[in-house]
Amino acid sequence: MKMGRTIAEKILAAHTDGEAPRAGDIVVARVDFAMVHDARAANALKMIARLGVKDLPFAAKTAFVLDHYSPPPNIEAANTHGAMRAFAGAHDAVLYDVGDGICHQVLPEGGHLTCGDLIVGTDTHSVTYGAFNAFGTGVEGTDIAAVMSTGKLWFRVPETIHIELKGRLQPGVWAKDITLTMLGRLGAEGANYRALEYAGTAVSAMEIDDRMTLANHAAELGAKAALLEADDKTIAWLKSRHARAPRPITADADANYSERIEIDASVLAPQVARSHLIDDVIGVTEARGQKVNVALIGTCTNGRLDDIRQAAAILKGRRIAKGVRMIVTPASRRVYLDAAREGLLEALTHAGASVEAAGCGTCVNITGHLITGDGEVVISSANRNFKGRLGNDNSEIWIGSAATVAASALTGTITDPRDVAGGKWRAA
Amino acid sequence: MKNIHGRVHLLGDNVNTDLNCSSKYLPGRDNAYVAQHAYERVAPGFAARFKAGDVIVAGSNFGVNSSREQAVHIMRTMGVAAIVAQSFGRLFFRNTINNGLPAVECDIAGIADGDDIEIDLAAGRVTVAARKLVRTAAALPPAVQQILAAGGLIAFLQQHPDWQSA
Repeated sequence: MKMGRTIAEKILAAHTDGEAPRAGDIVVARVDFAMVHDARAANALKMIARLGVKDLPFAAKTAFVLDHYSPPPNIEAANTHGAMRAFAGAHDAVLYDVGDGICHQVLPEGGHLTCGDLIVGTDTHSVTYGAFNAFGTGVEGTDIAAVMSTGKLWFRVPETIHIELKGRLQPGVWAKDITLTMLGRLGAEGANYRALEYAGTAVSAMEIDDRMTLANHAAELGAKAALLEADDKTIAWLKSRHARAPRPITADADANYSERIEIDASVLAPQVARSHLIDDVIGVTEARGQKVNVALIGTCTNGRLDDIRQAAAILKGRRIAKGVRMIVTPASRRVYLDAAREGLLEALTHAGASVEAAGCGTCVNITGHLITGDGEVVISSANRNFKGRLGNDNSEIWIGSAATVAASALTGTITDPRDVAGGKWRAA
Repeated sequence: MKNIHGRVHLLGDNVNTDLNCSSKYLPGRDNAYVAQHAYERVAPGFAARFKAGDVIVAGSNFGVNSSREQAVHIMRTMGVAAIVAQSFGRLFFRNTINNGLPAVECDIAGIADGDDIEIDLAAGRVTVAARKLVRTAAALPPAVQQILAAGGLIAFLQQHPDWQSA
């Protein structure tokens, strides 16, 4: 029986010789670009040394990104940074240093990927590249050693869940609220081993920043890749970053999906995940009144310009609630500069927030500066909220959109952004 | 491949290997230190009870989240013979193959702590004879079996530098 192909099947087929593979097949595929960040670099460099191959032509197509330990909190991390700089220098690899930004932001911004690409990174959120119609997936150090020496890697071609997002998001509701809704329905790891394809009018209406959130947060669903089709917005964005010529890949109309899901985006309300499970999701109105002590905006999920614009729209000319500590970490140096130019950092700083240098900062307590007190409650725009992630088992972490975080910082309790002035902001 | 025989150490669902078997939250600690404290948060006394050649049997999503490869390196240090789980986190499963540690996905209902378990990787069969319990697991594709048989991806690539054989 003739059967059409998914985006994942087609991208992997285009990177493999011989018969086009189907979901379930194992392929050894050519990789277009690779990424190694500082939390995994020590292991990756160890595996490269263990393999013992000196000539690594693929290094020129690999970015080393110093983003997690940014700035380095101990000697071990600082030494890893030193080793990364030295390796990148010796092998002509691309280097993004401390303060340049989060790997998943600097790769697209640096023009290192384009539509139809196969990209691997030492991070589960490498699925972000799917926002640009590239198959991005998370790997580890041994995989990096293999790619560096051969330019190839083994993959199991994933089954795909097709998600049709109908209508369009209402003001004050964001891609984050879609993925939280999906997490509530499918459960964490509900898409384990599988790829997601997001399509529909709500995706077309989204700006690139929000599409990156949509693809990125699929990691919490356990997705191996999260793929969007390319449109004029995608192509224009990539062109402005001097990416290679796009090779857009579309799914066949009769593609074989393991599951189909339909969501009417126009009726969605803001959502929050309760401490400590990312799939314990409720509507923000049900959480109304829950006090918060710390508000965090940033990370590869929601630290982009539109997130910061939204936060500033809510907080400009106002003060965050007394006793609330708020940190804003732009996803990249470019996002930081754009936000500065637009006066957003000034507005947020006036409002009581502290703005930090670009990096993974607000996501996980590996720099030691996020530690919360016993009983304190955090509302964060990050992607994970498991116990102890911010350094204290006895504090709570709730997850929402940047809009929900800003609105909650303003009132000191979890707040529907649509209930406060500026909360319905949307990129024009 | 030879069958694996070992004593079962049971763990629950959604066991996060970054939290329980890596130095992500223990900066500066080496693999030997982490091995002595592995899984203690979810199973007190686990590392003290575990003997080389034993088998971990876990619930769903074993190795979920960031899945540091270090966790697999530490489990090799501990002498984990195999892991049997209801399901694995995607990247964790990849790491086990890349490091030559057999990981088998099957229904674990009825398997208890201390059971003697037998795993036939080639046939995809898991047996607890004392309980007359036989479970089938998905057989691994040949390309993956090759990597596992070589002892992991690094060893495989040292034998097949151009990866043409795969």
